[in-house]
Amino acid sequence: MATATTPDPAPDAGAASPALLDVRDLYVEFRTRDGVARAVNGVSYRVDAGETLAVLGESGSGKSVTAQALMGILDSPPGFVTGGEIRFRGQDLLQAAPEERRRIRGARMAMIFQDALSALNPVLSVGTQLGEMYEVHQGMKRKDARAKAVELMERVRIPAARSRVGDYPHQFSGGMRQRIMIAMALALEPDLIIADEPTTALDVTVQAQVMDLLADLQREYDMGLILITHDLGVVADVADRIAVMYAGRIVEHAPVHDLYRAPAHPYTRGLLDSIPRLDQKGQELYAIKGLPPSLTAIPPGCPFHPRCPRARDRCAVDRPPQYDVAPGRTSACHFWEETLRDEEPPHDR
Amino acid sequence: MAESLTKSADREPILQVRNLVKHFPLTQGVLFKKQVGAVKAVDGISFDLYRGETLGIVGESGCGKSTVAKLLMNLERATAGEVFYKGEDISKLSGRALKTVRRNIQMVFQDPYTSLNPRMTVGDIIGEPFDIHPEAAPKGDRRRKVQELLDVVGLNPEYVNRYPHQFSGGQRQRIGIARGLALNPEIIICDEPVSALDVSVQAQVINLMERLQDEFDLSYVFIAHDLSIVRHISDRVGVMYLGRMAEIGTDQEIYEHPTHPYTQALLSAVPVPDPEVSGARERIILSGDVPSPANPPSGCRFRTRCWKAQDKCAEETPLLAVPAPFKDTDSPAAHDSACHFAEEKDVVGAA
Repeated sequence: MATATTPDPAPDAGAASPALLDVRDLYVEFRTRDGVARAVNGVSYRVDAGETLAVLGESGSGKSVTAQALMGILDSPPGFVTGGEIRFRGQDLLQAAPEERRRIRGARMAMIFQDALSALNPVLSVGTQLGEMYEVHQGMKRKDARAKAVELMERVRIPAARSRVGDYPHQFSGGMRQRIMIAMALALEPDLIIADEPTTALDVTVQAQVMDLLADLQREYDMGLILITHDLGVVADVADRIAVMYAGRIVEHAPVHDLYRAPAHPYTRGLLDSIPRLDQKGQELYAIKGLPPSLTAIPPGCPFHPRCPRARDRCAVDRPPQYDVAPGRTSACHFWEETLRDEEPPHDR
Repeated sequence: MAESLTKSADREPILQVRNLVKHFPLTQGVLFKKQVGAVKAVDGISFDLYRGETLGIVGESGCGKSTVAKLLMNLERATAGEVFYKGEDISKLSGRALKTVRRNIQMVFQDPYTSLNPRMTVGDIIGEPFDIHPEAAPKGDRRRKVQELLDVVGLNPEYVNRYPHQFSGGQRQRIGIARGLALNPEIIICDEPVSALDVSVQAQVINLMERLQDEFDLSYVFIAHDLSIVRHISDRVGVMYLGRMAEIGTDQEIYEHPTHPYTQALLSAVPVPDPEVSGARERIILSGDVPSPANPPSGCRFRTRCWKAQDKCAEETPLLAVPAPFKDTDSPAAHDSACHFAEEKDVVGAA
């Protein structure tokens, strides 16, 4: 594109210690029969110890694919990382040997999946699966690993852990299974946890329990947490910063309070306006018109322009860079200033 | 508009549900099946639905809300209890009589991916109700009717020959709604109609449903687990827990003046998309999980997770009625709540 892109939202030039995780200009594509699906198109973010970054987006926005690329669990083929860097404590994971990555995965960065029932092995007891972490990574004896498994289950507050360690995943409720997933991620005390929609499959009362637990454990271990979600409500409670993704790009990146108070991208504004609120009964809901684009045919210019109430001719040709809105805050919208002031769009499209 | 609907006392209900019960037998043995127990999915539910209103039913998974939907549609036979449609008990109908009633009660399903037959064109899917009820549209007129319906739900009428996989999730849900509308029903039962959709598309479908309700004077039973959406669309809301109704009232009574501890916990657990509000809110975090409906607790079903539970709660089943302290008052807390120790508490923090 003709425009110059400003550097990453949080450049670490001259910083005393490298960030826990620093993703720079990451590109991922899927080569399918129907063409190349560009799932991630230049995503940059960083996470420090003890910090929670929420990555927010709808299905197909590239939020989960980014996470899979970070963990190195992308299905390849058809998925390929075609550009960028993933620096974990300064080391570029994309250049690391497969054995090195395997050592890091699980031990230093771990992932919590959305659907615990399909992420856990149905024919192994949870104790065996939890103990496996210690057997594989630390060469621990089976009996000791079992004892550690009980300890872990107690730490994620599973009642009667000692008697339930031999139970199989289907014998647990959804919330309990998600706790086991969390326990598994925590087993080796990683520095970074990536949680992909950890509470989406759970009921609200259980969701609250699980988010609470996750937040407590993060504080206790001073971990970095990347929380991938589509739920603006869950994010508001726990995140420090939010990166909003659309069509494989980060369209807005901001501290949580700023983003909710005054969004600087029309997509974020639209999302916030389109969710009904529990504490107020509004009139008609605002609906973002149209549909998210197909990743095989992302519109030129700003990918959001066909749905955007502020779009002008320029938006269809000129891809917006990450404009600096404030320190630590960016927006990929040419008209972020008027969006921030929530002015009426210049004309009704 | 909402105001006039909440004053529903003087109007005749279109649907009356009385002590509806559904127990699914648990059997043991292969050859000689012996009943060893029952899953009490729905255990004595009563409510009314008025013309033109939306009754929201909320609850967690396993509370029986989807079974209620199936019972209202007569897709499941009730173990006990009655469903009166315009004064006639439809829960025991079968054959031709049932078919006639079903024309007026239609359903929109949760998952737009599995509720549409992938081998049928959109025209066939939406037109299928006319095959079953030929009197609704004369044969030569069907194509035009189907195209009209597509137009009503905001889809291009030229898509009539396309297949479901050529549509996005939101568009498919519109197809499901068009099918539900085909026979001009009076009541539509919606079982989690937007929970499979993305946030930005959810709003489009909700707005569509509200528009259709005004246009065709529809009554909705709107079943969902998302409390924010239910508040947005409903005139009255019922909260279910483990097969029973815990509390029922107008949206304002339930959301701003809940008296049942379960409703209060449920509402306080809903994340609010505003960090300023959610930080200031008091959260009630329940311990444990929902007990199994095969073996529900005695007395009040919620007592095992309730912070107010006392001996009385285990011994005596609380009735769904206006709690004694609020009886004969104008207080918004004076609505039906099945709790011995009902107290008003504002957990949503509404101004």
